Amino acid sequence: MPKARRSRRTLTTLVILVLLSLSVITLDQSGRTHSIASGVKSIASDVFSPLRSGVNAILDPIGNFFAGAVNYGSLEQENRKLQATIGRLRQEQSSRTFDARQLAELQKLLAVERLPYLQGLPTMMAETVSTGTSNFAATIRIDKGRAQGVALNDPVVGAGGLVGQIVESNHTTSVVRLVTDGQSRIGVTFGHSAQATVAGQGSGNPMTAELVAPGTKVTRGELMFTNGLAGAEYPPGIPVASVSSVRTGSESGQLSIVVKPLADLSTLAYVVVVQWSPTP
Amino acid sequence: MTVFLGLVIQSTLGVDIRIAGVHPDLMLLLPIAAGIAGGPEEGALVGFLAGLSADLLLPTPFGLSALVYSLVGFAVGASTGSLAREFWWLSILVAVAASAVAVVTYAVLGAVLGESQFLHLDLVAMIAVVAAFNAVLANGTVRVVRWALTPGSSDRRGASTLGPGW
Repeated sequence: MPKARRSRRTLTTLVILVLLSLSVITLDQSGRTHSIASGVKSIASDVFSPLRSGVNAILDPIGNFFAGAVNYGSLEQENRKLQATIGRLRQEQSSRTFDARQLAELQKLLAVERLPYLQGLPTMMAETVSTGTSNFAATIRIDKGRAQGVALNDPVVGAGGLVGQIVESNHTTSVVRLVTDGQSRIGVTFGHSAQATVAGQGSGNPMTAELVAPGTKVTRGELMFTNGLAGAEYPPGIPVASVSSVRTGSESGQLSIVVKPLADLSTLAYVVVVQWSPTP
Repeated sequence: MTVFLGLVIQSTLGVDIRIAGVHPDLMLLLPIAAGIAGGPEEGALVGFLAGLSADLLLPTPFGLSALVYSLVGFAVGASTGSLAREFWWLSILVAVAASAVAVVTYAVLGAVLGESQFLHLDLVAMIAVVAAFNAVLANGTVRVVRWALTPGSSDRRGASTLGPGW
């Protein structure tokens, strides 16, 4: 009898927990109550962020030691390249202090990339504090949030082109959804004013260009830029991707276009948040 | 406390370890271990706590991990009985199987909630990495969770609901 009672209690517990979970999911998914769920996440993130930074500061040297042991060959090669770059930068920046030099290096990074597409838009540099907290989403977390002026949906660019978009803006940190994420959709223009939508297919999968008008001429290596059409989520002219391959469907004539992001998403130590809102 | 510690480890060390672009899911190991050490009720409760905590820091739908982890914790507790306590290697097998089921369930439920891209990800790689890490850490985590569930008694299965270690 006690066993049967315990079994019933266990089932009741499970049902309650499942209902609770479903309620939380509904709160998050519903347009009206989404702000409650995102507010809770925002508070948790702000509370957890300093703790995570502290633990990372302690653990990073240990992690780096093991990472270095495993990737010694590639690290050595990378180290040689970095040494050459540092040497060049030292020559150019020798008269400045360390902090000033570090700042100048970052500014130089932007200057080298030129980022002409930003055209006077207000920007803010941010450092990546963590990458990909979930295996199911391609995101990074940056060290700037609402307190620094980062707003939801702000575009984020990096060396090479568009990196993604702010999808969660907390007090002191923000989450950037990368262009490769399965939820990412970007209106682009290429060639002679042709339009397409670049869609992420999840981390590790190639991006695709969709909704291309039949008969549009697309060549390998062609660059695609944000189109900035009315209501678009990005300002015009930001480099997004280059065409990797083009195939035409044998029956439908529909183009199957695989594209590669122009931004190097594997090294996102620093990114630039563009403080831009779409015109209504 | 154990869930909090797990969250700290997962969000610092856990996300930095990457194989084929996939990182281990140590929070998933908590309900699996709780199911083995305490039974279905403890598995489900720990799963809900661990999942909800993980959801706070994830960009995926809030509550999805709580739902999946609760179900997995319950299923592990209900299916293993006292066998996993008697055979140490059974914890490893259970951790592997439960990890695979959890990843697939997460992807399917995510797709139901509108995140259809979850099903297009490399689930095989994800299952392999998550299951491999959970298999390696299974026995140690079961011991920690058993201690947290029933402090002072290291092998009383199902003797209590969540103890002060949580």
